[in-house]
Amino acid sequence: MNKIDVACIIDDDPIFIFGAKRMMELSDFCNSFMIFKNGQEAINNLKPIMNTGEQVPDMILLDINMPIMDGWEFLDEFVKIESHKLVTIYIVSSSIDPVDLDRAKRYKSVSNYIIKPISIDTLKDILSTREEKDSAL
Amino acid sequence: MSLNPYILSILSIPNTQNKSRIDLLEFIQERVTIGTWEYDPTSSTLNWSSQTKKIHEVPLDYKPDVEAGLSFYKEGHCRDTISQLFSNCIELKEDFDVEVQITTYTGKDIWVRAIGIPIVKDDQCILVQGLFQDIDKKTKNAKQLAYKEEQLRKTFETALVGMAIVDLDGNWIDVNQSLCDTFGYTKAEIKKLSFVDLTHPEDLRKDNKAMIGMLSGKIDHFETEKRYISKQHEIIWAQLSMSIVRDNNGQPVHFVAQINDVTDVKKTSKKVSQLLTTTEDQNKRLLNFAHIVSHNLRSHYGNLDMLLDIVKMDLPETTDNEIFPLLNQAVTHLGETVENLNEVAAINIQKDLKTEPLNLLENFNKAYSSISALLLDSQTTISINIAPEIIIKAVPAYLDSILLNFLTNAIKYKKPTEPAKIEVNASLKDNFAILEIRDYGQGIDLEKYGAKLFGMYKTFHKHADSRGLGLFITKNQVEAIGGKIEVESKVNEGTTFYIHLKTYEQN
Repeated sequence: MNKIDVACIIDDDPIFIFGAKRMMELSDFCNSFMIFKNGQEAINNLKPIMNTGEQVPDMILLDINMPIMDGWEFLDEFVKIESHKLVTIYIVSSSIDPVDLDRAKRYKSVSNYIIKPISIDTLKDILSTREEKDSAL
Repeated sequence: MSLNPYILSILSIPNTQNKSRIDLLEFIQERVTIGTWEYDPTSSTLNWSSQTKKIHEVPLDYKPDVEAGLSFYKEGHCRDTISQLFSNCIELKEDFDVEVQITTYTGKDIWVRAIGIPIVKDDQCILVQGLFQDIDKKTKNAKQLAYKEEQLRKTFETALVGMAIVDLDGNWIDVNQSLCDTFGYTKAEIKKLSFVDLTHPEDLRKDNKAMIGMLSGKIDHFETEKRYISKQHEIIWAQLSMSIVRDNNGQPVHFVAQINDVTDVKKTSKKVSQLLTTTEDQNKRLLNFAHIVSHNLRSHYGNLDMLLDIVKMDLPETTDNEIFPLLNQAVTHLGETVENLNEVAAINIQKDLKTEPLNLLENFNKAYSSISALLLDSQTTISINIAPEIIIKAVPAYLDSILLNFLTNAIKYKKPTEPAKIEVNASLKDNFAILEIRDYGQGIDLEKYGAKLFGMYKTFHKHADSRGLGLFITKNQVEAIGGKIEVESKVNEGTTFYIHLKTYEQN
């Protein structure tokens, strides 16, 4: 399977971060992580990274409900950053509100909406869709 | 009306030699339904012309006398009157002209006009000549008209709706009692005022516009809800219906207005709408609350589930025991409960719940086995008596949650000194299956807590697990699928819940 180089998790819940990280390690999902506790922190750190083009994450797992800057606000800010690299964004939320699901669909940069909890299988699915995309290219 | 003596003299000559003149007379008599008569007091003979006989509906060869003649008059007032007038005519030589009723030979009551004129010679009445006219139709019409007028007047006067006739300048011409009562004025007071004086200033423009519209013929009536001011300076809300009355040439004559006092209705509807707003607000808050609770619960459940997954992979050796599968099951149930809660929150949004036929016993057993660890641990004894053929109509997740909730409650609120004992029975009544869950636990003081029993976050026992959301959700779920819950309880004796669930009927 095509392993991801850098995976980024943006979530304010330390338990989720711990769990997601551990699952990624166990399933040999990626080489390294980048963790941010809210949208603002993520934007502040990702901006320079994206500009230099080094260590840019391949994919982002993005929570919606976060303090300071929530997932939607992050998306609005993130699309403004110019970058050559295509970053796959997954929204990962415990919200099953159809309003949130519809809203996620309206963002072109969002690949999919994953309802928490995530499992090893979820991660495997993400990898296999990436492979399909790669082979299609 | 006084009769021309000339005509009278013509009419009163029954025995003339001139044949054509008699014919003419009869023609006239028939046409105007006027008969003649004459009475000779000396010989006591009475003669009726043929038209007079026709009016009495007697045969033409009928020979009347005074007594018989008088007997045709209706007994009582009519006969007394005519008898008096007739005798006055002869004795006092007085004319008479009266409208009275007779009963004809065939028994019909008709109105007639009887005229008598004495012919006097040497201060003696030698002959009475008279006319006899059928005025039944005319009288009845007039009487009917008077009756109708009276009816109309009474209707106007006694109507519970305020009614008024308003002239073209807006002055009250006539008003009824109800209108006076509404405004607190007497009739005399109101008639001195115009509608402008009684109308709330802010509603005047609308009225003026409508009146101009009616006068110009653009509209023929006008209906509105408007405010008046009573004599006591209170605002009167009224439903006004106004139309214009025109003469035969289309010229406006006056307005007719109906004014229905709706002040009380207005006040009530205001109260109702306030209540509605409050209720809607509360519903919104409730929904918000449910969303938040379900969301927060979901994220905690998600974490638990994820951590269990990690434990399975990371520390497989710790899962090989009795506790881990139970923990796993508990977390799964938590997830389901959260989902159910979400559905309760969604009840307000999606009205069409997908109910399906469900076997009550099978589902009960499912719920029962899912908490078998709890039952075992608490040494609960349970007797289940549910007929296997009972099929109810429910949302599967709801039924699951309802059953689990009642079972776990029964165990949770057992007496601290002894294990829980639960009896479950089911019976059918009308279109409902009544599931009876009886525990012999702590019981609930219904007098104290009855009203709050199914409220959100109400707990009655000092129990570590008490969350108070269970019964609230359960009640919501039961009601959403068309059922209801009843409860009986006594402190220290136990609680029985009767859960009425709609049975499934095949169409």
